[in-house]
Amino acid sequence: MVPPTISSQQVREDLWRPLAGASRRYTLILSLLCAVTFWGVLAWGYQIRVGIGVAGIRRPVFWGFYLVDFVFWIGISHAGTLISAILRLTDAGWRKPVTRAAEAITTFALMIGGLFPLIHLGRVWLFYWLFPYPNSRLLWPNFRSPLMWDVVAISTYLTGSLIFLYLPMIPDVAQLAQFAKGWRLRLYKWMALGWSGSDREWHALERAMKLMAGIILAVAVSVHSVVAWDFAMAIAPMWHSTIFAPYFVVGAIFSGLAGLIVALNIIRKTMHLERYLTPHHFGNLAKLLLLMSLFWLYFTFAEHLTVWYGNEPKEMNVFGARVRGHFAPEFWVMVFVNFVVPFILLGIKKLRSITTATIASVGVLLGMWLERYLIIIPTLSLPRLSAAAGKYSPSWVEISITVATFAAMAALYMVFSKLFPIVSLWEFEPHEQEEG
Amino acid sequence: MNLYLTGTFTDKKAAAEAIKQLKADGYTANDLAVFSDEPVEFPRGVLDRSSHMSLAVVLGAIVSFFLVVGFVYYTQHDYRLVTGGMPIFSFWPTGVVFYEITMLGSVLTTTGWFVWESGLLRRNENVPIPPIEPEMICLRVRCAPEQFVSATAILEKAGAKNVAKLEKAA
Repeated sequence: MVPPTISSQQVREDLWRPLAGASRRYTLILSLLCAVTFWGVLAWGYQIRVGIGVAGIRRPVFWGFYLVDFVFWIGISHAGTLISAILRLTDAGWRKPVTRAAEAITTFALMIGGLFPLIHLGRVWLFYWLFPYPNSRLLWPNFRSPLMWDVVAISTYLTGSLIFLYLPMIPDVAQLAQFAKGWRLRLYKWMALGWSGSDREWHALERAMKLMAGIILAVAVSVHSVVAWDFAMAIAPMWHSTIFAPYFVVGAIFSGLAGLIVALNIIRKTMHLERYLTPHHFGNLAKLLLLMSLFWLYFTFAEHLTVWYGNEPKEMNVFGARVRGHFAPEFWVMVFVNFVVPFILLGIKKLRSITTATIASVGVLLGMWLERYLIIIPTLSLPRLSAAAGKYSPSWVEISITVATFAAMAALYMVFSKLFPIVSLWEFEPHEQEEG
Repeated sequence: MNLYLTGTFTDKKAAAEAIKQLKADGYTANDLAVFSDEPVEFPRGVLDRSSHMSLAVVLGAIVSFFLVVGFVYYTQHDYRLVTGGMPIFSFWPTGVVFYEITMLGSVLTTTGWFVWESGLLRRNENVPIPPIEPEMICLRVRCAPEQFVSATAILEKAGAKNVAKLEKAA
């Protein structure tokens, strides 16, 4: 919390200061990120022009980096909405400086994650065939297909997340509009919808946010469940599992939290928000991350134990490749960074700090990306028909696009934080609770 | 023609007292509006604003559910896939789509109802809006010209500062 000695004027100045101007360092970093993103766009353009064959996906591994990235980014998107919604619903006071940063991560991660099914399509220009309209082929989309489930689920989640991010921004942009000039004034006025700060507006906003928090929570859980069912509906070794949906949801919250901690630390340092994003906030997030690490370990253990005990040969092929075969280095690195590192750095109170929480989070991000890789690639490399086994190695196109998505995420975040206060001003100002 | 006057409070309790006095004097909740740069929660009964948002959201979800069920039922019968003896239309494989569209309906209804209930896009341009100062609570009162003096007295007695007639901004 802000010490009471800081005036609301000071809070406003501190939170609005990052919006003014762009330093040379900011411009340089943003240009670099845009350049990397542009390289990724060029790589995608090359793939569209030449064909999907320029990617490393080959029979039988038809899902490579693109699907790994898809699941990873959808997981990261759970940072905001889920965490923010849970903290809103439970009225956790410490959430206030954290929620907008988290909600922005959700929106941008979803935009990026939602691109991968398109990137993965061989003929992306036909993606509109997924839209349900009476077309010249007299066909409707097949609503029974998990691909359609993804389209519907991600569209719903993206719509909800955008609204969930936008609604609490209205009072802030209305305040910003009082001081802005030029195109910023037009933008803020347009976004403020004529907000005047009346009690009727505040009541409606608070009611809407409570309802949205409940709805978005249910949608977020369903979205990652649907992503899990993309795999679990196939009778493939180590995919056809009943716990896949909750396993994916836990993993999503885990990676989302890690992404949030990393983002918050960067924001804190670069925007000089040390007084607002305090060790207390990071301590709470670190505890949540540790809890999710334990949940993740529990689900991973349960999943692997069941397969091992079942001893079904085709499943054991994949199991063996993961834990002691070709994919063992990735598997044990994953366990190390997803469990051992957080357990030591965050579990021992003396070691727990903003820096260690960030180190553990970076590890978790790596670990969760590896987890998605280990779920997808070994199973496809070792299908039920032994003669059809194959190998996968990503091409430069896939690597370029993957790297570009990280750059795009950072660039979007940088632009957002220049346009809007990354900490919600009206929510941050302490106000008394309802009496009686 | 009605007048608008405003008084500024630094204390929420004083503002609540002014509202109570004004209501005792015959003013309704529709005559009063509180402006602030952060939410101000008064005790129950002071300035309650009824809301049907929750009900609307549930109804929005129900309507969306039936619309999507009807749509999917229609599309699956309009172009019948070979299902190998399984039903053409079944809730199991389409349940996810029903669920997501139902939730989408509730999201959109929440947003729409928020815009409606807050009055954001249906503001009467003839009603003046007072400027908001940080950490201040501004109470706007709609009154008849002959009530101006008594309303001013109530506001001042409750501790309001800068009590004045509110003109429409140029």
